[in-house]
Amino acid sequence: MTSVEKKILMLLSDRLGEKILQIQTPQLGKVFVRVNAGVLRDALRVLFEENESAGISAITGVDLGKSIELMYHVRTHGTIITVRTEVPKEDAGIESITDLIPGANFHEREVADLFGVTFDGHPTQRRLVLPDSWPRNLFPLRKDAVIASIPNKLENAAVSDEDMQPSEGRTLIKVVMGPQHPALIEPEKFSLRVDGEIVKEVEPRIGYVHRGIEKAAENRTYLQDIYLVERICGICNACHAACFCQTVEAIMGISVPPRARYLRTVILELNRIHSHMLLLGHAGLEIGYETLFQYMWRDREPVMDIVEWLTGNRVIASFITIGGVRRDLKEEMIPKIKAELTNLKEKMSFYKHLFDSDPTLKMRTKNVGVLSKQDALKLCVVGPVARGSGVNMDVRKDEPYAAYDEIPFNMVTYNEGDSWARLMVRLAEIGESINIINYALDNLPSGPYRVRVPRIVPAGEAFGRVEAPRGELFYYVKSNGTAYPERVKVRTPTFANILSFVRIAEGGNVADVPASFVSLDPCFSCTDR
Amino acid sequence: MCCASLVKWARLKSPWVLHFNSGACNACDIEVVALLTPRYDVERFGILLEPSPRHADVLLTTGVVTRQCADRLKRIYEQMPEPKFVVAIGACACSGGVFEGNYNVLGGVDKVIPVDVYVPGCPPKPEAIIDGIVKLLNSAREAKLDDKR
Repeated sequence: MTSVEKKILMLLSDRLGEKILQIQTPQLGKVFVRVNAGVLRDALRVLFEENESAGISAITGVDLGKSIELMYHVRTHGTIITVRTEVPKEDAGIESITDLIPGANFHEREVADLFGVTFDGHPTQRRLVLPDSWPRNLFPLRKDAVIASIPNKLENAAVSDEDMQPSEGRTLIKVVMGPQHPALIEPEKFSLRVDGEIVKEVEPRIGYVHRGIEKAAENRTYLQDIYLVERICGICNACHAACFCQTVEAIMGISVPPRARYLRTVILELNRIHSHMLLLGHAGLEIGYETLFQYMWRDREPVMDIVEWLTGNRVIASFITIGGVRRDLKEEMIPKIKAELTNLKEKMSFYKHLFDSDPTLKMRTKNVGVLSKQDALKLCVVGPVARGSGVNMDVRKDEPYAAYDEIPFNMVTYNEGDSWARLMVRLAEIGESINIINYALDNLPSGPYRVRVPRIVPAGEAFGRVEAPRGELFYYVKSNGTAYPERVKVRTPTFANILSFVRIAEGGNVADVPASFVSLDPCFSCTDR
Repeated sequence: MCCASLVKWARLKSPWVLHFNSGACNACDIEVVALLTPRYDVERFGILLEPSPRHADVLLTTGVVTRQCADRLKRIYEQMPEPKFVVAIGACACSGGVFEGNYNVLGGVDKVIPVDVYVPGCPPKPEAIIDGIVKLLNSAREAKLDDKR
């Protein structure tokens, strides 16, 4: 336990005293505090008052048979403090914490959908991830849920968003964006209420890509789950695999060989480069600058080639596995990779110049979609969105994994909080990633690239965090001592960031909606799982 | 007759495609977008990505069909003018792939709308997708388009 965690625990026991039932530290630096449901809000209030930049990272539900356990993972001082409590299954209900921290909004709605826990005092009680036609009393992540014959009723649009009332009797026009929309590569629906050209309200409806992966993970072995979680998101697939494997390795108490840690770092950074380039190109498309899109995607192809040389696959890498990586990097590939990266770096300085000087780009992105630092903290956003608003947050620095504790790099932050700042963060991060890969290739340790691990994982629980291209990715895995996990919880970066879209779109121009939206780099296959 | 063959010629020379993701993981989607960019550049076949279903000839679908998306997929297909073609891209769109049997998943695209070309792979390489579309164009050239559905 580090000194920060000790300090927070001292404070908690000071304020709550005997109300704390148990304190566990199953992993180094991972603290679980068990309290009664009635004390939960007090405990969380202590944490949020102690540090004004504390935020909620995730809310995990676990079916314990007679009761449902709720875990509130609070991110504070770069670490995670988990407050856990139980509610009875028959009458599952707890007070909402959205008034303490607005960023908990979607986390609570998700638990309500999947576990049937009612959050008293939550501003929105509508469906979030499940389809509107889903039976009201069937909660898929409960162990006793019988999902045999769900009526395949088609979507009932009338229920989903028609009940959004216009405010204060003004006539607002409803503009529906999605599920099929040119600015959205993925299907999600955003209902905008507009007054003339100004967006007044935004109601997001996600869940169009909900594939029930958390439930499916419980029916597959740990090894099969790696391939499943990679397919949560095809863009940041290596991050998902890394985070899942890291978490399972923590339960098993395995340490990964140094060469594997470095190779993991290489693929994770390649993921980041190609994801950021994809987004910067897409941003060009949305602001009507198609040349930028074509250039960016042209320059992105060599990165895909490197991924293919390293892993054998272009997109879904299937490279990281429990205990290391699945194949070694051939020595003769290293100069080829470095040559491509040098090329890319030159091109990046051209793009940097472009973003700094091009009037078209600036007009469409400067002072558009501003998210203040305060809002960023309140809404608990992560990744480049947080760093674009001046929040210092990067899991690679806060809680180093893979080889990030040995590799020097800089965290990029901008204070403007507008679309431009968010794009610039990504542009600068590509440069940092290139440096990280070069350093990792120069200092690649020799030795084995994986250790063999048993198929059966001992009983236990752990969570892991990875800085995916879009921000902090969070996994919680609970094992019951078999080859199948008891529970796999995934909280993806876009799920944390999507609330901020409502904030930045409201009050802005309709024409700016796609551009400011894309600057958040939303990934809905991640969000919905 | 002459007019019909002219239309057919034009359509085959420049098929407009619409991309719809009904529950994919983004891997196939980024490969579909990569098709339009300089390395693969499908515009050399006259293929143009079209944002509206009402102007599209070919529907490129990616991903499994989720319960929430099934209706949308069907509606988009119905909005496309005849003759229309569907290309299912990726293992999920072909058969449900790794998500087959999940509670919110109906299965492959052919559970909801008829499919003309299946491009397997997870994700298929852009070359494979191009091959699928070109095969579709070739078979459409040989078939009498007017008989099509």
